[in-house]
Amino acid sequence: MPAEVFNPNPVVFSPTKGLGRKSELLAQSLWIDEPTSSDGEVDDVELIDQDEVFDLIRSIYDPEHPNTLEELRVVSAPQIKIEQNWVTVEFTPTVPHCGMSTLIGLCIRVRLLRSLPNRFKVDIFVKPGSHQSEHAVNKQLNDKERVAAALENPVLLDTVEQCLRDAGRRGLPII
Amino acid sequence: MENTERLIRTWIATEKDEDIRQISLEISADRTSLVNVVKGLGEYLTADEEDIRRKGVEFLSLVLASLAEDKINKQSTRVLSTFYCGKLEDSGTIIPALSGIQTLVKLPTCSALEVQSILRSMFVHVKPKTLVQSVRFVIFSILDSLVANHRDVLKAMGKEFLDGYVSLADGEKDPRNLIVAFAIARVILIEFDIHERIETLFNVTFCYFPITFRPPPNDPYGITTEDLRDALRGCLNATPYFGPLAIPVFLEKLLAGTRATKRDTLQTIGICLPVYGATLARAEARKLWNSLKLEIFQPTDSVNEEEALRTTQILVKTIYQTNGLSGDDADVQGLAREACEECIGILKEPEKSQAKPAAKILCAFMSTTPSIAKYTISQAVPHLVQLFHNPDEAGNRAPVLAVLSEFITAARDSLSKLSPHPVQAEYGMETEPTAPALTPYKDDVLGVLTVGLKAASSRRPALAGLQGMVATENLLTDEELGFIVHNVNQILEADPGELDDASDAVLDLLSAVAKVNPRPVEVQTLPLLFSSLPDSPPLRNAIPERVKILNALLALETLCVQAQLFETLVIRLTTKLDLICVPNASSLTPSPITEEEVELHAAYAHWVLTTLAKTLRKKVDREDPDVAKYIERLVPRIFNLFIFSALVVAENDGNEEKDRWRQRVSVATDPRLVKKAGEIVTLVVQVLPLTRQENYATLLYGALLEGNLESIAEGHQKIAADRRLLDTASTAQKDLLALFSAAILPLRKEVRPVVSEVNAFLDKVLWWCLTSAVSDFQRDAVFHLLASILNKRVDADRLDTFTNTLLSMFWDKEILDSSVALERRQHAIKAWTWVSKALLIRSHTLALQFTDKLFDAFDDGVIGWDAAKAIGDVVAIDNVLTKKHHAISRLLYAQKFVNHVLSRIIAGAKDSSKHRIQESRCQTASLVALTSLIKSIPKATYQHELPGLIPLLLRGLELPDTNIRSNVIDTFLAAAEGDSPESSLVASHAPTLVTLMLKNSNAAEMPSSKVRIHALKYLEKLPSIVRYDILHPSKPTVIKELAKAVDDPKRTVRKEAVDARTAWFRYHGST
Repeated sequence: MPAEVFNPNPVVFSPTKGLGRKSELLAQSLWIDEPTSSDGEVDDVELIDQDEVFDLIRSIYDPEHPNTLEELRVVSAPQIKIEQNWVTVEFTPTVPHCGMSTLIGLCIRVRLLRSLPNRFKVDIFVKPGSHQSEHAVNKQLNDKERVAAALENPVLLDTVEQCLRDAGRRGLPII
Repeated sequence: MENTERLIRTWIATEKDEDIRQISLEISADRTSLVNVVKGLGEYLTADEEDIRRKGVEFLSLVLASLAEDKINKQSTRVLSTFYCGKLEDSGTIIPALSGIQTLVKLPTCSALEVQSILRSMFVHVKPKTLVQSVRFVIFSILDSLVANHRDVLKAMGKEFLDGYVSLADGEKDPRNLIVAFAIARVILIEFDIHERIETLFNVTFCYFPITFRPPPNDPYGITTEDLRDALRGCLNATPYFGPLAIPVFLEKLLAGTRATKRDTLQTIGICLPVYGATLARAEARKLWNSLKLEIFQPTDSVNEEEALRTTQILVKTIYQTNGLSGDDADVQGLAREACEECIGILKEPEKSQAKPAAKILCAFMSTTPSIAKYTISQAVPHLVQLFHNPDEAGNRAPVLAVLSEFITAARDSLSKLSPHPVQAEYGMETEPTAPALTPYKDDVLGVLTVGLKAASSRRPALAGLQGMVATENLLTDEELGFIVHNVNQILEADPGELDDASDAVLDLLSAVAKVNPRPVEVQTLPLLFSSLPDSPPLRNAIPERVKILNALLALETLCVQAQLFETLVIRLTTKLDLICVPNASSLTPSPITEEEVELHAAYAHWVLTTLAKTLRKKVDREDPDVAKYIERLVPRIFNLFIFSALVVAENDGNEEKDRWRQRVSVATDPRLVKKAGEIVTLVVQVLPLTRQENYATLLYGALLEGNLESIAEGHQKIAADRRLLDTASTAQKDLLALFSAAILPLRKEVRPVVSEVNAFLDKVLWWCLTSAVSDFQRDAVFHLLASILNKRVDADRLDTFTNTLLSMFWDKEILDSSVALERRQHAIKAWTWVSKALLIRSHTLALQFTDKLFDAFDDGVIGWDAAKAIGDVVAIDNVLTKKHHAISRLLYAQKFVNHVLSRIIAGAKDSSKHRIQESRCQTASLVALTSLIKSIPKATYQHELPGLIPLLLRGLELPDTNIRSNVIDTFLAAAEGDSPESSLVASHAPTLVTLMLKNSNAAEMPSSKVRIHALKYLEKLPSIVRYDILHPSKPTVIKELAKAVDDPKRTVRKEAVDARTAWFRYHGST
């Protein structure tokens, strides 16, 4: 834990969107409770979309709080854009002087690096106007060399791993 | 005497136990005496060499220990104790002297005088720090015996004993000794007059707090951290004198400690505070609260947070317990008030992260004392209500309600905690039930919550709050329940898209209301839901409409479990079903009926039937007594509808308009509907008592064999003709057999099939399956019927004619005979499987004869695989022959079967004695049988064979059949459960497994997404069950290969791939 706490009492939001896509599921087939002949073996490709990327990063923990990035509204589904092989993730620090911003960005980058296919180029930005050293943070986060160097640092990597420990929850509560 | 001396001499020379035994036998037989022994030892006891002296004393101690108590009289005790005290002075003999004393102090002849002199010389001469652990253990044992047997003597010694004890116990570090020491200390602290030595005793006990001892691996003594901690806590909370000294120690440990220390400290404070007393707690309240607060607001983990809350509760309870009943509730002073105000101050910003712990603290206060609970509510609830109404805070209504609902729940739960023994109502006396603490604020809270319902953002917490209120006993009146239902209904009416998020909570709330009083739900909610079910289904692409209907049905299914509501449901839905399936001929439009229209109607009817079936299943699981009556109200109407439809569609009178109608009525001949209807029939029939089942069976068999269909199918539709279904040619009517099968299979074993000859009947239905049935649906239904009767009646109706014919003719003619068509042979194997299953479950003697035959077909090139798969199907759990359906099943039948076949299968898979083609066929079939078997049985039955099976299973992974592969992976997944890196079953095969699983997880090589998902799940599991040093060479490959899997075309597969890859990224050696 760092000595300085940048935002001791942030606002906590309830989940931004529903967890299951229940009505979608309900509507998928005319028959309920019956195995359909096709049963998922059809060849239609489900492309990686905004929600799927959001699911990957929503349950990353904030380095400063026991809350997830989703609960603090640091990330949200509309702030993610996908164009073919290019993913842009925008995030909003809870306070403009947040010194954790680069760390949050790094966590997002590591998670996506591990979870998205290699064909994707990922750009990570802080929301314009939400951080006092916006430019510096953006530059640092999207510089391959600097990201690689950061991940060589075992202490830093350990902190990142800590933030990512429950990222697999994808918004679901801990069991 | 000479003999004694001789024995002493030999012992000194050899130290053999035998000599000790000899001596003690001699003494027991009065051939010699202790005095003689001492005399005989004389020269040794005074020898110059330390070693000899030691041996001399040791010999005496050993002899003493081996003697019976009554052999040592008072006189000897006296002499011996003086003797040993003398020996304590000699550093060479101190060890054996102590063990002698250990024996002495246990003797009943040991008196106060001896005790005192022993203790005094121990205090003077024994220096524990110079002695090894085992000797120190002896010291503690001596003290333990003395405390147990001579407590008054020790008390009389006063400070002398206390000081002496401290000098002996000070600095002890060995856990084995400490366990005894803590037990002694507890007695001393509780019973002895310690007020002049509090600080000294405090120092020798609190120096151990907190316990940081970790038992070494494979510790032979088995003392755990918990043992020590509990023993120490017994000392810390033994006396209130420790209080003032202890609190600073606790606070210091809490501040500086690690996670485990903090937890221990919090728990210890909780245990000690009630002993230390209210006065001290009050004096230290501020300091304690400040520390505890920190643990709650910045918790190291959730467990510690919980502990801190619990400790806070204890603190508050300790402070206020004494004046809890003073009656002046409104005026709470001191800590509770300050803490309350502090938390409420934080709650002025309920949307902030600190609000959560603050609310938790206030909720915790609710379960302390009634006056505190009342006070907390009186402070917090009005504050929150006011905050909700404050226009500046309009954006924060959701968090306000979230806090409020937590409050309501805490208030509800505290009710039972505060009064664990509710006042029992006396005969003839009305006792006023205790009013819930929330009662004075009920109207305000209810108002706030119903307003909260209106906005989507605050709906969830509002529902949670209402749920809490409804579940609070004696809080709401029936009118208020009605009011809640009214408001909630408005959400149900709203757009389904908006409802999506909160629908579960809405239904939970309504269910909770229905549990208290079903009336408001019945008259307000149900009509609303029924009205959203149209008479005809929406179009295929009208998804929002479809979702609305499905949501309404889901709501009905959730709500109508309660008896009164279920009755309404049955009436309304059966009527709806008739309308969907059999419209008036006049209401049909003149346009031709399309297949699409029929399918849409069929699906709609299927939803309705599913709703009925699911609700009914819930009721059956809850063992509701009202289910049985639906044999008259629901089952006949279902038969009526389906029999009517099946008969009508077969008619043909050339009338075009009538034809169109008939086409439309074919809705209810869809096998999927028949199947669902069958589920409902089964559910009702299975709960009927025996006599009712017997009566019903008579009707059923009459309808099936004689064609008296009307007797079981009363209802709206007129059943046109009598028809013997087993002889019919129409597919729709053949499907009806499924309905009969569904009614027969849950009959009890005492119910006789109402047929003239059961053997002949079974023969007939079996042939019907092979010759008349046209679909798997029909065949399966009738196989179920066959299996059910065979299982329950094989001995009672002497069905051996049937089984013998099967064994002697059927097998050769229908299964082995390669001139028979393949399909027919496969159906015959299916029949064989069901017959075997029926017998196997009841461990019938014939069962194994049936299953053994299956092996004979393994080398058949055409049906070998089918036969092999049947081996597993025979023991697979099915939902036909179950306890609920009154099937006869014996314990451990699966285990017996597995023991019988497993070795044969393994041998078959390895066997290479036969001809080459045969051999490979047999081997493959054995592998298939193995995978099929393992999939079907519980892990415990094959666990012991698993190490030998793994190589075979790996071979199974390379068979082309995707089902087999997924079975094998499932088996690996099941085997991984409870596996650990230390003793992994798969460790030696791990690299092979990695390669095979990677292959199966790649979309390019494995078309089935199910197999890919399972393979990825297993890959995710591997790092947690195999040691890093074994698998680390695979890590780069896995991570590289999984990069392809995370690009899988299927979303569900990608999810597993991401999880698996994450697990491998995290796979590190322990450093």
